[in-house]
Amino acid sequence: MSRLIDAGLEEQSALLCKMAELTYETVDLAIQSYLSGESAHRQVQEMSELLMAMAEEIEDKTFELISRFQPVASDLRTIKSYMKIAYDFSRYSRYALDISYVTDKLCGITECETWMRSFIQEVSEKVMKMVRISIDSLRKYDVALAKTVSTLEQEVDKIFIDYLNRLIEKVNVDPKCVISSVLVMRYLERIADHATYVCEAIVYIATGEKILLR
Amino acid sequence: MGNSEKIKTEKLNAWFGQKQALRDINLSIRANVVTAIIGPSGCGKSTLIRTLNRMHELVPGAKVSGRVLLDGKNIYDDDVDPVQIRRRVGMVFQKPNPFPTMSIYDNVAAGLKLMDAKKGPALDEVVKKCLQQASLWDEVKDDLKKPGTSLSGGQQQRLCIARALAVNPEVILMDEPCSALDPIATAKIESLIRDLSKEYTVVIVTHNMQQASRVSDYTAFLYLGELIEYGLTKDIFENPKNALTEKYITGEFG
Repeated sequence: MSRLIDAGLEEQSALLCKMAELTYETVDLAIQSYLSGESAHRQVQEMSELLMAMAEEIEDKTFELISRFQPVASDLRTIKSYMKIAYDFSRYSRYALDISYVTDKLCGITECETWMRSFIQEVSEKVMKMVRISIDSLRKYDVALAKTVSTLEQEVDKIFIDYLNRLIEKVNVDPKCVISSVLVMRYLERIADHATYVCEAIVYIATGEKILLR
Repeated sequence: MGNSEKIKTEKLNAWFGQKQALRDINLSIRANVVTAIIGPSGCGKSTLIRTLNRMHELVPGAKVSGRVLLDGKNIYDDDVDPVQIRRRVGMVFQKPNPFPTMSIYDNVAAGLKLMDAKKGPALDEVVKKCLQQASLWDEVKDDLKKPGTSLSGGQQQRLCIARALAVNPEVILMDEPCSALDPIATAKIESLIRDLSKEYTVVIVTHNMQQASRVSDYTAFLYLGELIEYGLTKDIFENPKNALTEKYITGEFG
């Protein structure tokens, strides 16, 4: 016999999965836009706003479930973590919006030197991989998969620092490229951080353990 | 929490005739905290707390084996007076049960009068103090001569708590003390339970999971007479270690 809370949990889960795919598309669109130099700002903005609204819906539903059903144990961990993950997903899209803004106001990476493009390309691939891991491990509460973000997170951090060091050494780089690439690199690094938080939340839901993957 | 151990059960078993109600319970109850005992109907919750002050043996055919250590001394040793144990370990029941023919004052004073411990102004002081501790004094101070049964259900339960406090117990056992009360009376008793734990060791049996999570510091989960899990209430309700506990508290069975 299903419990009264189950319908609410399933509804939250479905909404979160919908958010997951939409946020992946949003980040991907923003990155592709920066890599190609073709504006996608309006579309990213619409997707980002929708994701913010969905995160708020999950938050409202969380409070409703807590007040109506007083969840405990795995129910409580799930409900609490869903709200946190929804926030993290909305942050992915918020940084995606920032990336698309930079592309519009400054430039895409196509206008910059090749070595700069390589850095951005490399970090983008790793970040998209992390976003995908966070989404896939959520679907099955796959703890082993969730834990794999840890290595990628360290790699992203290292690329960011290496990139800054390279820039400091360089002279005569187009200021537009410097500003846009550092901002985008920073936004990507923040998306990677949020993907790591999502994976930590998945471990918590599944095992009750509060671990750091950072 | 660093509180010392107040009660310890060792391989505690209890029977009603041939039917075994408790099986090898090993439980350490800490002083000056609230310990909740939860579990489905018939799991042995009430039996367990009744073994902690030797009330279980009052039931015809009932039997106990194992040890219950109160401050390190087994209360089932031959040289222990069960009446003394029941004074040190008081009990509040599910249904408020003030002595029906007695006034509010006499209900609280009854135990002390029986013990012939105090009289006159000294007795008045104890009655006042106990009613204050039970958060009832302000509501009844002008009606002490009225029958205890004239009070509301929640007030009657607080009167019973005041009565239990009058003989200066060290431990207070409560067997579903709020199950007959409305939410407002329940909230008052729960708040009182928290206050009492500053001075007394409190053990509460409850069917209400939210009540256990609100009032207790430690929670023990019993199932079919066995202690399945025991730990900090925060841990039991957020991250239980045993699958049975998880299933019970999330309502998958019970």
